[in-house]
Amino acid sequence: MSLWVDKYRPTSLGKLDYHKEQATQLKNLVQCGDFPHLLVYGPSGAGKKTRIMCLLRELYGAGVEKLRIEHHTIVAPSKKKIEINTIASNYHLEVNPSDAGNQDRVVIQELIKTVAQSQQIQSSTQREFKVVILTEVDRLTKDAQHALRRTMEKYMSTCRLILCSTSTSKVIGPIRSRCLAVRVPLPSTEEVCSVLTSVCKKEGLNLPPELAKQISEKSGRNLRKALLMCEACRVQQYPFSADQEVPETDWEVYLRETANAIVSQQNPQRLLEVRARLYELLTHCIPPEIIMKGLVKELLSNCDGQLKAEVAHMAAYYEHRLQLGSKAIYHLEAFTAKFMAIYKKFMEDGLDAMMF
Amino acid sequence: MDPLPEGSRTAASSVKRWVDPSFSELSAQSSDPFLWSKTDTKNPKKRKGGAFSCQRLESDQGGQDESWVDRYSPQSQAELAVHKKKVEDVQTWMNAHRSKGGILVLTGPSGSGKTATVRVLSQELGLKVQEWTNPSNVEPYSSWQNADWRIDGLTYSSQVTQFREFLLRAYKYGCLSMAGDGGAAGKKLILVEDFPNQFSRQPSSLHDLLRRFVRIARCPLVFVVSESVSGDGSVRSLFPREIQEELHINCISFNPVAPTSMMKVLGSISAQEAVKSGGRTSVPGQAELEALCSGSAGDIRSAINSLQFLCLLGSSGNSGVSRTKKDRPASGRRGASRSNQKTKKTKTVKDQEEERAIGGKDAALFLFRALGKILHCKRGGHTEVPSPALPPHLLHHCREDLLVEPEVVVERSHVSAEMFNLYLHQNYLDFFSEVEDVERASEYLSDADLLAADWTNRIILRDYSSSVAVRGILHSNSHQVSVGFRPLHKPAWLQVSTKHRENCLAARHLFRDFCLPAACLQVELLPYLAKLTNPMRNHTQITFIQEVGQMSLRKHPSRVKLETLTDKETAPEEEEEKEDRGLVEGQDQSEEALTASQPKPTLSRALLEDEEVSIEEYSSD
Repeated sequence: MSLWVDKYRPTSLGKLDYHKEQATQLKNLVQCGDFPHLLVYGPSGAGKKTRIMCLLRELYGAGVEKLRIEHHTIVAPSKKKIEINTIASNYHLEVNPSDAGNQDRVVIQELIKTVAQSQQIQSSTQREFKVVILTEVDRLTKDAQHALRRTMEKYMSTCRLILCSTSTSKVIGPIRSRCLAVRVPLPSTEEVCSVLTSVCKKEGLNLPPELAKQISEKSGRNLRKALLMCEACRVQQYPFSADQEVPETDWEVYLRETANAIVSQQNPQRLLEVRARLYELLTHCIPPEIIMKGLVKELLSNCDGQLKAEVAHMAAYYEHRLQLGSKAIYHLEAFTAKFMAIYKKFMEDGLDAMMF
Repeated sequence: MDPLPEGSRTAASSVKRWVDPSFSELSAQSSDPFLWSKTDTKNPKKRKGGAFSCQRLESDQGGQDESWVDRYSPQSQAELAVHKKKVEDVQTWMNAHRSKGGILVLTGPSGSGKTATVRVLSQELGLKVQEWTNPSNVEPYSSWQNADWRIDGLTYSSQVTQFREFLLRAYKYGCLSMAGDGGAAGKKLILVEDFPNQFSRQPSSLHDLLRRFVRIARCPLVFVVSESVSGDGSVRSLFPREIQEELHINCISFNPVAPTSMMKVLGSISAQEAVKSGGRTSVPGQAELEALCSGSAGDIRSAINSLQFLCLLGSSGNSGVSRTKKDRPASGRRGASRSNQKTKKTKTVKDQEEERAIGGKDAALFLFRALGKILHCKRGGHTEVPSPALPPHLLHHCREDLLVEPEVVVERSHVSAEMFNLYLHQNYLDFFSEVEDVERASEYLSDADLLAADWTNRIILRDYSSSVAVRGILHSNSHQVSVGFRPLHKPAWLQVSTKHRENCLAARHLFRDFCLPAACLQVELLPYLAKLTNPMRNHTQITFIQEVGQMSLRKHPSRVKLETLTDKETAPEEEEEKEDRGLVEGQDQSEEALTASQPKPTLSRALLEDEEVSIEEYSSD
């Protein structure tokens, strides 16, 4: 039994549930027989990968769905061994080069070279190029991106690249200009609702429209999250009730409690407790950026309108340092301490104003 | 040897003077070779005797070759430069264990008077000291096995074997009672300063030996262990707590010799020397003695050695180098006595430089003390208003003068700047009372991290980074209250970040068939998988989901256990950032089927599931 997310993933461009116009455009693109390098971007959970897989199926037929995980070992020029996992079919190869950390440049060059140098055998029946999908391109180092630029031109005859990223801002200009950019926006609330309803129907369940709406709002229109939520709702309670509480992930609840702890009391001891909670979140694999973001969101909803601008400013300041620095806890804690100080001062001023 | 002509004979004696290793100034006068041979023969005899009592009675000339440390080694309790309390501790222990077995471990930095205390006390109590020294004739490679073996008719036995025999036999045979020994014969004390190397590799063999010793022994056994900051933690590994409790081992830890008592000793030595040499030796002034005293960092042996060296330089009086050396401290110290040194910080730093020129010892601090110095933040009494007083809007930045030099403290703590910052970060909150102060301190720490973040210039900037952190914390603590003792902890961050990295790797590895980017996987999929009943997972995945995907929503988490930093502990080895480590699990198969994520033809499915089962069995083994 696989997850609903995987089970009901559309497999062809025609079956996509939303952005249908874009789907037709992609279809036309493929039917010309050739297409340029693509840069597919859009927020998480919008359906980038689904769209790419549909495109490949359109291109190569059902053979592209026979996937296997391959384990590659690449020797860097510094004699260091890099191990990386790829997902491949006979026609394409998918790799996340940022798994290799600093050595992503080597991965890109070597892997693409291997793929591009092997010609398709039956070029009469098949396309004459293979496709390499690179995910999380925005996390590539600058070095790797420049290497990619060169590789793109060199192997144009035998290989097409599909780059997949959440935003284009971290992708260097030369790459952007060499690719056809395809933006996949988030589905609207209604679209999420309709997908949820149709999935539930296929499962033989009856989803009340109110609950569907609640889920889609709570998921932030992230379709993957919405489907996971919906399935969690199913586990929690069936038949669905319209005012059922949508289960949240543990870490979100935990983060909210942390924010409440910060707001309720401001002293060094409390900061120490908060630090312990931050550590707890980190050990549960929550990336520091997401902790920061979640914390800010919860704190902003808890504090007075006057403070919001300042808090947001501080958050941006420390988020920046988080990216530049090496140890996340310093910056998370500094932000917390800053908020505590601002908030405490605000409350004391308010109290004084009330007294006099 | 052919008799040499007169001229070459004097030449030979002057050559002899060149190679003369001693500090003796007498050598300048004693060109007579006969005198030389006399002193040479005298010395070994005296050393062999090993008795301390007769040393003071050495003739003037004979004593010149001897280093002052030996000549002025303490003869009575009153002369010991060790704190009275410690001496009493050792004495009570010795009294209690005079005629029965017992083990005492003395620890402390080198030159703190451990051995001297044992010798003086045992002499006063009439105990004969039997000391173990590592035999040097042992083949170096023989230490790894305990068995004896024979080569060329000679018997070799390993150090450990010899040590065991020494320990177990030493008490058995009383000394032959000599005429002069009096009634003290038979009472003994075993002193071990050298440990056979094998024990540092295998402490358990020592423990076994000690157990045997305790069962049968009838005389006290004293171990003397010097500890250093660079700390191999020999005490901890050789005598762990369980063993201490099991065998009732007493442990007395010596502190570095206090400046006052060291001053007393140095003063009396230099006075005696002055009398003895009859004015030939220039007596160092009070200020110089103080410089020596603080330069030696509580190591009395090195202080006395330096004193001897200093006097020697002063006496020769012909070389310009020594003149300047001697002059500089004196001029530098004019008026800067210890009491008002607090206010003249820059001067103190300068003094410290000079102390090193005299031949002092690099002072070092244990991490625990270094952190304490920073966190407790001792500031001087408010003596004088700084000449340009701060304008009113900056008055809240006004602080009293620091008693410590932060950079020096960090340097002496012997850990890297990043590590020191982490320790500070772990512990600083306990010492703050105001949120506003914490806010500023945490910002400084954040700055410090930023400074040292970029690896290209980390080497240059790490010192600045620690300086920013330490001074930032010192400065921002505006309402310093005396908090009393607070336990210090080891940084939890190291543990947390390792765990974070491991978990992320494991997540990527275990759930790679979902083909999701790491962030999505960790933030969305795993937590929801924990909420779903999904029977397709194998065992490791289920455990992992339960561990990582779920969080206990209790009020106060206690997963991250804090390790208390103890007194003499050293920082753990810094681990390197493992940027791109290969996946750990050994069951990597080069090709593996997708299980759940992507659409796939049903035909291959049955086959793939077979494989899946086999993997499960493999991992459950």
